Amino acid sequence: MPTSAAASSSSENQSRPVPEDIVGRLSSSMASYEIKLKALRDLKNQIIGNRTKKLAFLKLGAVPSVVSILSSATAAASCRGGYDDNLDSIIIQSAAVIGSFACGFDAGVQAVLDAGALPILLSLISHQNEKVVDAGARSLKLIYQSKLAPKYEFFKDQNLEFLLSLLNCKNENVTGLGACVITHSCRTSIEQRALNDAGVVRKLISLLGGSVIQRDSSLESLAAILKENSEVILKFVGPENGRALNDVIELTKDKHPRTRLLACMCLVVIRNALPSYLQDLQIKTKLVLILLELLDDPGQVGEEAPFILSSLIVGKEDMQRLAFQENVIDKLCCHLEKGSLQAKRLQGIFLALADLCSRLESCRTKLLSLKALQFMVDAMSHDSAEVRAAACICLKNVSRSVENLSAGTFMNESVINPVVQLLCDTSTSVQVAALGAISNVVVDFMVQKTTFIQFGGVKQLVELSKSMDSTIRMNAVCALRNLMFLVSDRCKEAILLELTQSTLTSLICDPEVSVQEQALALVCNLVDGSTDGIRHVFADNCSLLRAVVRQIQSASKVEVVIQGMYVLTNVASGDELHKEAVMDELFPTLPGGPQSIVIKFLQSNESQLRTAAVWTLVNLTLPNSSGAFGRAVKLRRAGIISQLKNMMNDPCLDVKLRARTAFGQMMTLGDGSP
Amino acid sequence: MSLLWFVLGQLAEIESMGSSKKIITKEEWEKKLNDVKIRKEDMNKLVMNFLVTEGYVDAAEKFRKESGTEPDIDLATITDRMAVKKAVQCGNVEDAIEKVNDLNPEILDTNPQLFFHLQQQRLIELIRNGKVAEALEFAQEELAPRGEENQSFLEELERTVSLLAFEDVNNCPVAELLDISQRLKTASEVNAAILTSQSHEKDPKLPSLLKMLIWAQNQLDEKAAYPRINDISTATLEDPGV
Repeated sequence: MPTSAAASSSSENQSRPVPEDIVGRLSSSMASYEIKLKALRDLKNQIIGNRTKKLAFLKLGAVPSVVSILSSATAAASCRGGYDDNLDSIIIQSAAVIGSFACGFDAGVQAVLDAGALPILLSLISHQNEKVVDAGARSLKLIYQSKLAPKYEFFKDQNLEFLLSLLNCKNENVTGLGACVITHSCRTSIEQRALNDAGVVRKLISLLGGSVIQRDSSLESLAAILKENSEVILKFVGPENGRALNDVIELTKDKHPRTRLLACMCLVVIRNALPSYLQDLQIKTKLVLILLELLDDPGQVGEEAPFILSSLIVGKEDMQRLAFQENVIDKLCCHLEKGSLQAKRLQGIFLALADLCSRLESCRTKLLSLKALQFMVDAMSHDSAEVRAAACICLKNVSRSVENLSAGTFMNESVINPVVQLLCDTSTSVQVAALGAISNVVVDFMVQKTTFIQFGGVKQLVELSKSMDSTIRMNAVCALRNLMFLVSDRCKEAILLELTQSTLTSLICDPEVSVQEQALALVCNLVDGSTDGIRHVFADNCSLLRAVVRQIQSASKVEVVIQGMYVLTNVASGDELHKEAVMDELFPTLPGGPQSIVIKFLQSNESQLRTAAVWTLVNLTLPNSSGAFGRAVKLRRAGIISQLKNMMNDPCLDVKLRARTAFGQMMTLGDGSP
Repeated sequence: MSLLWFVLGQLAEIESMGSSKKIITKEEWEKKLNDVKIRKEDMNKLVMNFLVTEGYVDAAEKFRKESGTEPDIDLATITDRMAVKKAVQCGNVEDAIEKVNDLNPEILDTNPQLFFHLQQQRLIELIRNGKVAEALEFAQEELAPRGEENQSFLEELERTVSLLAFEDVNNCPVAELLDISQRLKTASEVNAAILTSQSHEKDPKLPSLLKMLIWAQNQLDEKAAYPRINDISTATLEDPGV
């Protein structure tokens, strides 16, 4: 134990006020001005930087009390007019308390909004006392940094004018607030254009030359105004030989990490919307390297950097290749190796890795060679749902590697078990991400699919295929569809046993088109290959076949019809009975009946539908089957020959070749005439 | 500062000549130095920047009056900042925290690391003063939740609490926490955060210029013998050793 007992400072000696007492003094109507002010300061000093205390005071109902103190103080001040130091102090302290409750704490923001603090704080911006203005602007800024803050309505009343007055204000906190409001609320292209037309962009560009705080907040709001809006971007980069763009490029070299990050974000936004800009290798490489370096920042900048890196490379193969060459994968993995990362950083790194692996096999091979699979598996049991989902998305993209799929890299207990467990996750986005990963992993060309079935994965997938959430339903059916791909008859049997004919039938008729499509593709895989598989659509009084045909006849979306026709194509590859059943469905022999839908499909503008239809005809007229002749006669009568003749030179190569095959087969079979 | 520009210029000149090591006499050097022009206002601004950043508020005020150089920051805020810094240096951490919160409540709310270090300093002061029970309670109530939020905070907290386990704290592996240098470290961290929140550079420009001078001299050493400055405080030109 320490033996020295040096004289202690007085402040450390005071006993700390108890939360209940503070709240009591705040809400007491008897308390004097001094007591209230002291209570507000005590409260402020207890909650700043301390989430636990914020929550404790929130539960004690401190927020409404403080907002009501602020409300009556502002009312009293406006009645009195001019300076009143006492009132101003109360206003400053209560605004600071409200701001702290709203700082990085969603429950606090909600409480502050519910208590009606927003309009009162806004009224402080026009206060005479600069310190009151500062306090109001700071608190508002913290509120507008939260997703929970209401969207600022640019087009209502004098709102746009008010916003401009904020940006034109000399007070740095107020301009910062203006920028923050834009960052939070500017979403639609109409808003973006209106802000630009009102001169907001010009003002923000001029603020780039201001203080660090002004510069950073301007960069952030510029990104919001330019995002995905090529029209506004052209107006931004055009004037004065692109001076504004050059300013932003310069800021990527700034000594403040946050400024560098935000400048990069602006440039990524511009690049993504206007691919003709910022294309030279030098700037592309620079962006990758700066963002990579910013990842080392221990604070918020390091947390946000991987997300911006991700938006720089997502969907762009050239950028992914470049990042690969700059060893981004190694460096991201180094961070993962270090361990004990903050959730947001971990999420960002997995998302960036996922984007890197979305197209290039070299990236996937590299990532797997760095034992990253284990990082993903570990992250699947992370506390944060965002991290779990990001790990699944990463696994999904890395498992696009055909080489590794066929090597069975992913089909082992240590990978499958944690992913299957996430199917029961409490978060929908995690479930969807896990389904996405499973969908890819189960497209396994080897025998390991039984492994997945043994792990009980099918049961979970079937459960989710009945989910109320259509995204989950769609992804679950997609995973089952991939599992059904090129699988043994025994496995098909096992999957169908779990799924049941009736569930599959109702999925084919699901209200969501995307689910219908996946369900039909699932049936397509079921009836692919052996006649054993095909037999399933005839079970239960042909319930599956009926459902498929119903969709072919009535579906409004062509994608659904295409999948349905492929089911029939596969069924038509079966034995005589199967072929005849398809004939009966597509060419019912009703005298004077309507034209077969197949003719309509052959004339479709969609080449894929023409392909599917023509494939069915090829399978129906394979010359080595005994009933082929009879079917050819029927097809002829239905006017197929002349239709096929028209397709001999179809613009789609696939259609052209199949049409010629079908036509040739029918010619070989003859027309029955002597 | 004209010397720095001059050295850099010489560096470029010699570089372009690509000659072997050149000797420059003191007379030549001084003559060349005389040709370099530095604006008085720039010098004044550098001095003002130094005074403001380092917190010499009275000196800055006097210098403003005498030289007419306007500081780029409200001088009143320097007084506040210095009061915070001084409070930490004296071990009055709670007082310092309250002062920071009065100055700008955002600073500690948005800077968890700084907030943790201040709270850690508070704990250190409690331990220093032998208030064991209070220290334990404080660690548990205020610091432990921060440790849960951040792994590296937890490690630092454990290190600090371990002070309580040693009989002779001055000779234990974590004794440095009780050293005055720990207070100074925390104080300078707060000082920097306040400056950043005021959009002001956290380091004065003058030291970086001197650093550049030394760097430039080192570069030039490889190419020439010239009157070097070895003692920065007197800025005496030494005779070039041959």
